[in-house]
Amino acid sequence: MIRIKNISKVFPNGFVALEDVTLHIGRGEFVYLVGPSGAGKSSLLNLIFRSEVPSSGEIYIDNFALNSIKKNQIPYFRRGIGMIFQDYKLLPRRTVYENIAFALRVMHYSRARIRRQVTQVLELVGLSEKLNHYPSELSGGEQQRICIARAIVNNPPILLADEPTGSLDPDTSWEIMQLLSKINARQTTVVVATHNKSIVDDIRKRVVGLENGKVVRDKELGPYEG
Amino acid sequence: MMTDFIFFLSEAITGMRRSGLMILISIATISVSLIVLGMFLLMSANIANLGDFMASKLEIRLYLRQSASEGGESDLRARIAKMKEVKSVKLVTRDQAWKKFQTNYPNMPLADWVRSNPLPDTIYVKLIDQKDIESMAAYFRRMDSLIDDVVYGGVIAQQIKTVSNFLRYSGFVLVGLLTLATLLIVMNTIRLTVIARQHEIEIMQLVGATNQFVRWPFLIEGLIIGSLGSGVSIIILKFFYVFFVQWFQDTIPYFPLMYDVNTLRTIYLMLAGMGVFLGVIGAFIAVSRSLKTTF
Repeated sequence: MIRIKNISKVFPNGFVALEDVTLHIGRGEFVYLVGPSGAGKSSLLNLIFRSEVPSSGEIYIDNFALNSIKKNQIPYFRRGIGMIFQDYKLLPRRTVYENIAFALRVMHYSRARIRRQVTQVLELVGLSEKLNHYPSELSGGEQQRICIARAIVNNPPILLADEPTGSLDPDTSWEIMQLLSKINARQTTVVVATHNKSIVDDIRKRVVGLENGKVVRDKELGPYEG
Repeated sequence: MMTDFIFFLSEAITGMRRSGLMILISIATISVSLIVLGMFLLMSANIANLGDFMASKLEIRLYLRQSASEGGESDLRARIAKMKEVKSVKLVTRDQAWKKFQTNYPNMPLADWVRSNPLPDTIYVKLIDQKDIESMAAYFRRMDSLIDDVVYGGVIAQQIKTVSNFLRYSGFVLVGLLTLATLLIVMNTIRLTVIARQHEIEIMQLVGATNQFVRWPFLIEGLIIGSLGSGVSIIILKFFYVFFVQWFQDTIPYFPLMYDVNTLRTIYLMLAGMGVFLGVIGAFIAVSRSLKTTF
């Protein structure tokens, strides 16, 4: 599903974000990427999402070899990946419905199909009645649910989350993680970058630890640390 | 396909409503540029028309010396009329010419400041074939001492052609500069709506929108701006030209102004095309810069 071989990422200013990282993530897995800020978690997600390119090494996602992917293929590649952000990245002037429908419009879906899928996904994240609200009228946890709904509305095989609970209180964080588990249970591969220790220790999944751009541990059902 | 189009259109309109004043300025700029361009085209068309008109007159004018006697004149006319290249010969005396001038230009108080009739007796020679006009003119110049000067449409037509060519080439430069200036303004206007939607574009790309998809609403916006701008310019030019033709006909009657419907339509179509071109190209460049920075 996700195969990363000897990846390094060096920024033009000389900062080494990732160094010789090799990682395999199978279909339907749930993986935490943990580590302190600057350890390279976000860089790794950005490389998988192809919003950055590695300085060396190879990445294969499903059928796509990201080293040789053509620019005009990137949009089609991204349709197979849902991405969740700490800052939600919702459009403030659009309703909840519009924000989610946006992702399907891009794929030229018909109006009826868009309505059907948006309704379904809102049910899944439990916000059916907030259809016509604007993001500013929702709580942080609700906004994150909308962001998740947008990411999975077209059923992508992979879901990436960059600090999804970063700006949420513990209870809401817990709910969001439960939701991600639920999505994972539908055979979606989920990769979550986080430094939320209590979550990682409570909802036990595979843990990949990063420090200074290197993989320092990789444990099935491992706790946050060692 | 239809769903996409409605979406793009509504996106374009939302974008335009958000940057209202700049859009109006953009439309006005396109209008002004196209009006200048249109006036220029109308002027060229008129000059070309005048040249054609002059050339179409198969006529040579022989201005006679003031001292010419009636007898010499009629003898000269008879000799010319006998030539095989000549179709007809007509004498217009200085008195006739003077009277005609005064009826044609009643507003010109020439008689007040010219004490006597300044016009010469003139023989108008019409030829059978336009080809002979130059050689015949040259011949008349040496033919008789009664003939003071020879003028034919060819010379004037030639001069008008030179002027019209000059205008055409200087026009290319003018049109080029105007196009560039307009393009820059349109580009910057649409750039503003692009920047206002930078966030949106980024999210569109994150959820897998192709560049094409991101571009469309902005291209439609450019298309609308361009069409409105050229529409306004065409309406203004049409009124202006009708008014101008009337005013000119009143001031200088019988002047061969161009009001050929087809030529006018071509000019207006060119302006419309130019407006749409400017709007769409401006939008394309404006949005392309944003698409590059995101990757």
